[in-house]
Amino acid sequence: MSMGTPAVVMDNGTGLTKLGFAGNDSPSFVFPTAICTSKRRSTNVASKRGLEDLDFYIGDEAIDAAQGSQYSLNYPIKHGQIEDWDQMERFWESSIFKYLRCEPEDHYFLLTEPPLNPPENRESTAEIMFESFNCAGLYIAVQAVLALAASWTSPKVQDRSLSGTVIDSGDGVTHVIPVAEGYVIGAAIKNIPLAGRDITLFIQQLLRDRGESDTSLQSAEKIKQQFCYVCPDIVQEFSRFDQYPQEKFAQYIVEYTDRNKTNTVDVGYERFLAPEIFFNPEICSSDFLTPLPIVVDQVIQASPIDVRKKLYKNIVLSGGSTMFKDFGKRLQRDLKNIVNERVGASEKLSGTKSTGVEVQVISHKKQRNAVWFGGSLLAQTSEFKSYCYTKKDYDEYGPSIVRNFSLFSVP
Amino acid sequence: MLQIEQNNLLIESTLTERIFSNTFKSLDRIVSDFDFTTYHLSSIENKTKILISINLKCWNDLAQYGVTQILSEKYQPFSSVLSTTDAEQGYNYSFILDLESAFDQDQDFKLSLINELSLLKRNSMAAPFCAAFSRYDELFKKYANVNTYSEEVQMELQNEKVIIIKYRGLNESIYLKPSFDRVTIIFSTMFQDETDKIFGKVFLQEFVDARKRSVQTAPQVLYNTEAPLDIANDVKKGEHFVTFVLFPRHLTIGDKRENCISHIQLFRSYFHYHIKCSKAYMHSRMRFRVKEFLKILNRAKPENLDDDGKVIETRKTASGRTFVK
Repeated sequence: MSMGTPAVVMDNGTGLTKLGFAGNDSPSFVFPTAICTSKRRSTNVASKRGLEDLDFYIGDEAIDAAQGSQYSLNYPIKHGQIEDWDQMERFWESSIFKYLRCEPEDHYFLLTEPPLNPPENRESTAEIMFESFNCAGLYIAVQAVLALAASWTSPKVQDRSLSGTVIDSGDGVTHVIPVAEGYVIGAAIKNIPLAGRDITLFIQQLLRDRGESDTSLQSAEKIKQQFCYVCPDIVQEFSRFDQYPQEKFAQYIVEYTDRNKTNTVDVGYERFLAPEIFFNPEICSSDFLTPLPIVVDQVIQASPIDVRKKLYKNIVLSGGSTMFKDFGKRLQRDLKNIVNERVGASEKLSGTKSTGVEVQVISHKKQRNAVWFGGSLLAQTSEFKSYCYTKKDYDEYGPSIVRNFSLFSVP
Repeated sequence: MLQIEQNNLLIESTLTERIFSNTFKSLDRIVSDFDFTTYHLSSIENKTKILISINLKCWNDLAQYGVTQILSEKYQPFSSVLSTTDAEQGYNYSFILDLESAFDQDQDFKLSLINELSLLKRNSMAAPFCAAFSRYDELFKKYANVNTYSEEVQMELQNEKVIIIKYRGLNESIYLKPSFDRVTIIFSTMFQDETDKIFGKVFLQEFVDARKRSVQTAPQVLYNTEAPLDIANDVKKGEHFVTFVLFPRHLTIGDKRENCISHIQLFRSYFHYHIKCSKAYMHSRMRFRVKEFLKILNRAKPENLDDDGKVIETRKTASGRTFVK
């Protein structure tokens, strides 16, 4: 039945949802994972009389509608995991029929899940996808594995393997996830409570300290996206700013909906200080103080010894907050220093020569929507359908079938 | 969302972005729509032009009823920026959109161009409906002053050709039969799932009853598992049939007729969308119930007893959690 139709790839994150069809190079829709439902709905579900359950909006429309007093806004996904299944079911309903315009019976679906997602959540997802939507086939992939697949577009990658360390930094939290042969090493995963939102808040703080005329969160966000970069060394960068103020300092022209209003904000040291919080967290946070390269090193050291070389060699970036210029370079340099130091020390102790450890951080063009893109890449292969469970399989075995998916074989 | 929208949102947003940005960027995008429809938008000739192709399952059926003619009429006002071309490999019909000249047009022109292009599937599917409706016009004129109860006329009407659109490949089809005072539209559907059958039945019963209750102007709807006599010769087993009878008031030439075409051709998607919505609603009811039952169960849990069989004082909330002293 589903022959010839492209598979649907849906990546529902805490902040943003990416929707699209396999084979495309960018998601068709990217909008907030938000749903707004009518407030008039009484608490007693049985008292429904009309079409209240169809009265909702998702994505950007939801945020617009929530400005009024009739709707209340909700985010059904918290910390990467689905919290409210009622709302998620309706979110999918609208995603499929309104945005993607497809009959789920005719399409295969690829959904994503965070690492360490409980199997019960997988089952609930499968229940909704198969029982409500009768989708033709389903595959639930771990986000980190898809991010690894997305890195195959980089010319630096020679052998396409599903082993590596994924640094996934979105809006809320940064994860460092080791993956060996397509399996996530759950025990070694580490979270860093610093991510996109903290960088924006830090910029806003700097703007306020300086007494700029516009210190709104939107302006800080725009400055982060347009001006920030990672510097090799803070002290040198400060002196470079003092030497060449013309080139380094910038001005951000604030955009207003009212065309007649104009305002400019000076952009100074925050250009390199903001992303620096990954490498020197003490400048912004007082409770988390471990720099990112050290966390990455700890994660790899906590993984089994036989995969560590592969993990060092293939460090993949994913998510919007890893998009800063030279982020990968800096991380690679800092991590190399740590590794070389350790190799040096062990050489001194044992007296034998080490063959060395290669450290490589891979950045590529698809980093922003890496997870979605990896999904699109894998779902367009001809074998994809053989990895999926079909509606028939589900009816035969029940929801527990989705506890295990066969891994993608590497082409 | 009560109704499924007519236009394709993704085509609309993609083209809006391209046409209003005044820059050339490369584009290669597959877009899908209901009933196995696929579009392909790709940039050609140094990114100054966009090739828009559509692939429909039932193109051969549509071609019989002059789909190319209808499409060229529909897109005539935009001929300054839109030209037809040989269909792209693997697709049925292609347009070339010239971005350079589209940039120079005014706002209204751009908006209506984008809107019409996002309705490409609707406009293609409209062809057989237009054919059936104009046949109705002919018959209406022909029999205006004739006694339509006479046997010859009845025979003639019965032998009227039925238009068949196999819009989802082999299994499900739309049948159109024009007559002098009505147009009959029959959808044959199949359900993949047993539960869907039951939901579908309840939903269709509402449709059938709608006329009895409030909406007197609604078209007559019939639902049965046996093929209506008009089409009895060319149907398979296991199909269900939904029949709409459109009366002259639905066929008034102009907006009403166009509107009628737009809505009726999306009937199947609309129907399945609502089956899925009702299932989602049922699920939310079930989750609510389970939560309520769990609360009762948690309250009924036996008290903690210590070694001497004495009750350890713990206070519990409704969800079964205890307070730590």
